Amino acid sequence: MLESFLSFDLYLLVDVFAFALVVFLACKGSWKRLPALWAYLFAFLVIDGVARRYVLYHYGIKSNAYIYCYWLTDAALALGLFLLICTFFQRACANERKLWPFLRLFLAFVFVLVLGMSAHTLSRNYENLFSRFIYEFNQNLYFTCLVLNTLLFIMMQQIENADDELQMLVCGLGLQFAGPAANFALMFLTPDNTTAHGYAKLLFAFASPLCTLGMLLTWFYAVVKMPKPATARASKKLVPVMATSHRSA
Amino acid sequence: MFVASLILILSTALFLFYLQATCQRILRRQFDQEYFRSIVNANRLEFPSIRKALEEYDGPTDYARFRMTLKCDFLALTYLLKNAGNADRRYTRDERLLMLYFRAVYLLMVARHGLRLRERNAIVNLTAILEYFANVVGQRVNLVRFGNLAPSNYLLNL
Repeated sequence: MLESFLSFDLYLLVDVFAFALVVFLACKGSWKRLPALWAYLFAFLVIDGVARRYVLYHYGIKSNAYIYCYWLTDAALALGLFLLICTFFQRACANERKLWPFLRLFLAFVFVLVLGMSAHTLSRNYENLFSRFIYEFNQNLYFTCLVLNTLLFIMMQQIENADDELQMLVCGLGLQFAGPAANFALMFLTPDNTTAHGYAKLLFAFASPLCTLGMLLTWFYAVVKMPKPATARASKKLVPVMATSHRSA
Repeated sequence: MFVASLILILSTALFLFYLQATCQRILRRQFDQEYFRSIVNANRLEFPSIRKALEEYDGPTDYARFRMTLKCDFLALTYLLKNAGNADRRYTRDERLLMLYFRAVYLLMVARHGLRLRERNAIVNLTAILEYFANVVGQRVNLVRFGNLAPSNYLLNL
């Protein structure tokens, strides 16, 4: 009782923070600078705050409809975060023009691979979704995203990227992927109907919203307090004039 | 089974790594001036002298004294964070996170000392956190006017 009440409160808190961040970005006009982040948060709010709650109130927490809705939207949100990481890769490579075309191909390949494998395994085990399969599936999906996020973090250190805001956003994503990935692995490792599995499930009820909350707070800190990257662009009109004068000289 | 165990270990390690990276990013925040100096002088805090000692001498550290000093400075600064120039009398979320980080690094320092490993890096990390706290307190005190009191006098009257 206490467990479900506390975790319900935590999920509500997560939605409140997500809503506050969406509104903050919209009011400050920062959503134009961070469109992918804003789009993800908006999708998260619609899925977690509206769709899941609608199914929860209409069918109940133990209904098949809610379980299907929860796990399928969870996979969709994880794939959304995957796309968000891709946009962060693009931002990190803003000053590395030679690197981006190669990375773009690599990321597109990995995304298609993950999407294809996720769709294939989910469709094959659709009837079997309540088994341990879902833990293994999520464990692999979250861990793949975590590896990609860590590659981005390492790449940013290697190319000495000074974008503090982006580094903080990437740290937030790391928290969101690492916590649930470890938790899913723990649930997969503990045998069903044992005390250990019960504790692992209890841990998941708290760890999952807490990690999302950690990510949102880190993002809040990043967009509010971190220095923004300077955008210095030359006027388009000046470029041909300068080029002409250079040629004539 | 092997893959799941590997994912469990790696994910837990990466979770702690990202938590530490987040704290380090917060600590890297630039202040427009060195606010911590006035706070250190007014409250006779000793963490800058510890850092100086570590930077200048590569010999063995006076662990017992350093540990006590860092703990006292932490208690003083957390009190000031809550009460000096803080209308809400509450810690902010990043301050709470850094306080947790301080405690974790402090425990790590104790553990490393117990295992007879070098605790130098942990001590340097702790002084960096204390400097950040002192900078935040100094900035707050600097922003608020307290009649004719200078920031250091205000702190002495707390």
